[in-house]
Amino acid sequence: MALLLGKRRAVARRTAPRARRRPPLSTYLFVLPAVVFVAATVLYPLVYNVAISFRDVGLREIVAGGGDFVGFDNYLAELRKPEFRNALLVSLLYTVLGVGLAFVCGLAMAVFLNRRFPGRDLMRSVLLVAWVLPTVVSANVWKWMLDGGHGLLNTVLGALGLVDDDLFWLLEPATALASVVLATVWTLAPFAMILLLAGLQNIPGPLYEAARIDGANAWQRFTRITVPMLRPVSMTVLLLLFVTTFKTFDTIYLMTRGGPGNATMILPIHAYLEAFSFFRFGTGAAATTVMLLIPLLLSLFYFRSLRKEDLA
Amino acid sequence: MSARRLLGARWASTVIGALLAAVYIVPVYWMVATSLKRPGDVFADPPDIVPSPVSFGAYAEAVFANTHVLRGLANSTVVGAGTTLLTLALALPAAYGMARFRLRFVSAFLLLFLVVQMIPAINVALPMFVIFSHLGLVNSYLGLVLANCSLALPLAVVVLRPYFLAVPGEVVEAARVDGCGQWSAFLRIALPVSVPGIVTVAVVSFLGAWGEFVFALALVTKDQMQPVSVVLAGLTNAFGTRWNDVMAVSAVVSLPIFLAFLFLQRFVVGGLTAGATKN
Repeated sequence: MALLLGKRRAVARRTAPRARRRPPLSTYLFVLPAVVFVAATVLYPLVYNVAISFRDVGLREIVAGGGDFVGFDNYLAELRKPEFRNALLVSLLYTVLGVGLAFVCGLAMAVFLNRRFPGRDLMRSVLLVAWVLPTVVSANVWKWMLDGGHGLLNTVLGALGLVDDDLFWLLEPATALASVVLATVWTLAPFAMILLLAGLQNIPGPLYEAARIDGANAWQRFTRITVPMLRPVSMTVLLLLFVTTFKTFDTIYLMTRGGPGNATMILPIHAYLEAFSFFRFGTGAAATTVMLLIPLLLSLFYFRSLRKEDLA
Repeated sequence: MSARRLLGARWASTVIGALLAAVYIVPVYWMVATSLKRPGDVFADPPDIVPSPVSFGAYAEAVFANTHVLRGLANSTVVGAGTTLLTLALALPAAYGMARFRLRFVSAFLLLFLVVQMIPAINVALPMFVIFSHLGLVNSYLGLVLANCSLALPLAVVVLRPYFLAVPGEVVEAARVDGCGQWSAFLRIALPVSVPGIVTVAVVSFLGAWGEFVFALALVTKDQMQPVSVVLAGLTNAFGTRWNDVMAVSAVVSLPIFLAFLFLQRFVVGGLTAGATKN
C-alpha cells in the first residue's frame, strides 16, 4: 500500500501538474460536502454511541430522549456478563479461523491462477461471483446446503461414504462454528485471491528465472521469492480480511442467529440483540464501543508499521 | 520440460481448476435448481440433481404473488437508486477536489475515508437508530439512503480520485483560460472523461445498498418498509422453511449482481478491489 502510494504520487506529478500557489478557499467547497456527510453520518453516531454507553437508555428514553447518567455501569455490567466474554471469545476464534483459512485458500488460488492454463479467465470470473453475491443470499444457500435432513452436503458426504448418519451441521455447537467459518471463507477467499494475484503479477519474472538457473526448486522459489515479495500485499490483505471478518453480521445472523446456545454468538450480534431485542441500548452501546477498539488498534498498528517501512 | 509434459501439466491445472470452480458453482446451481422444484420434490431422497419437472411455481407464488417480497424489491430499488445518486453527488466533486487542488488535509481526508470503512456497521447502526428515532427517520427511505450512503461514499471517493488524477491538468487549465469557472471545468471537462470511474461507483453503490442488511434490519421496524434483504432473511424460520420459495427469492435478489457481472464485470471488479489497494 505504501509502495502504491508513492508510485501514485509520482504518476500524479507527471500527468496532472497542479497549481503552484495554494488554491483559493472556494475550492474546498468541492470536498466539504462529502467530509461533512461522513462526519455527520459516521463520526457523529460513533461519538453519540459513546454518550449512550454512559447512560441508562431503554425504549422509553429512545422515544422521549434523555436517560440517566450512570458512569461506567454499562461497561461494568457488560464486562461482568458471561455472554459478553463468551461473545468476545467466539468473535476472536471465528475471526482468526476465518482470516487464516481465507488467506491460505486465497493464496493457493492466486498462485494457481497465476499460471497459464485453458479456462483460467472463466474460472477467475466464477470465483468472483461468489464474492459479489449478497451475503444474505450466500448465507441462505449455505444454510440450505448444510441442512441436516435434506442438505446437499450430507448427500455428497454420504455418497462418498464419509458420514453414515445425517449430520445436523447448524444444530451442534462445534459444527455450527465450523459451518459459519466455511461460509465466510467461501465468500472471502476470492477477495483475498484477487488482491494477492495482483501482488503476484507485480513480482518481476526474471527473479524466478534467475533462481531457476541457480537450481532452486519450486518450493524454494515459493518460500524465497514469492513469500518475501508478497509480504506488503499480504499485510494489507490480512488487515482487510480481519476487519471484514470481525464485523461480519449477516452470515451468522442468517445461518444460526448466534446459536445453538451461544456457540456462534459473535460480538456484533450480541450487541444487536442487547439493543434491539432486549432494548438495553446503553449496554449495547457499551459493547459496541469495546468492540470497536479491536479493529481500531489493529489498523493503528498497521499504519504505524507502514510508516516505519517508509522511513526504512 | 518437454512440450508434451508441459501441455499435460496445463491440462492437469484445468482439472484442478474445474474442481475448484465446482466448489463455487455448485452452491449457486443448487440455489437455482431448488428454486425450480415443486415443494414436494425439494425433500426427495436422494435429491434430484436436475429438477424434474421444472416448475416455476416458487417464482409465481413466493415472488410475483407475494406482496411483501414485491414491496421489498421496490423498497430496495428506491433505496439503491437514492444511494447511488447521493453518493455520486457527494463523491464526484470531493474526489475531483482532492485530485486537482493542492488542498490542505488531503491525506487526512483520505485516511478518514479509509478508516471509516473498517468500522463495523452495528457500531453506527445502533446510535443511528436512536438519532433517527428523534428525527423521525426510522422507517423512511431517506434514513436508509443516508445510512447506505455512509457506507458507499468513502469507498466511492477512494475509487474515483485516481480517475481524476489521470485527467491531464493542461486540459483543465486550457478550459479555465477560455473562461470556464472551477465548477464548469469540473462538469464539462473532468466528468465526461471519467465515465468509466463513474459507472464503477454507480454500480458498486447500487449493489452495496441492494444487499445491505445491518442498517436495513436496525433502521426499519415496519414490514412494508423492509428492503428485500430483510424480507429474504424473514423467510427462513425454525418451523419448516419452504426452501424452494427461499431459493426463488434468493435468485431474484442475486439477479442484479449476475447482470452487473455479465455486462459490467471490469467495472465491478475494478471498483471493489480498487478501494482496497489504491490510494
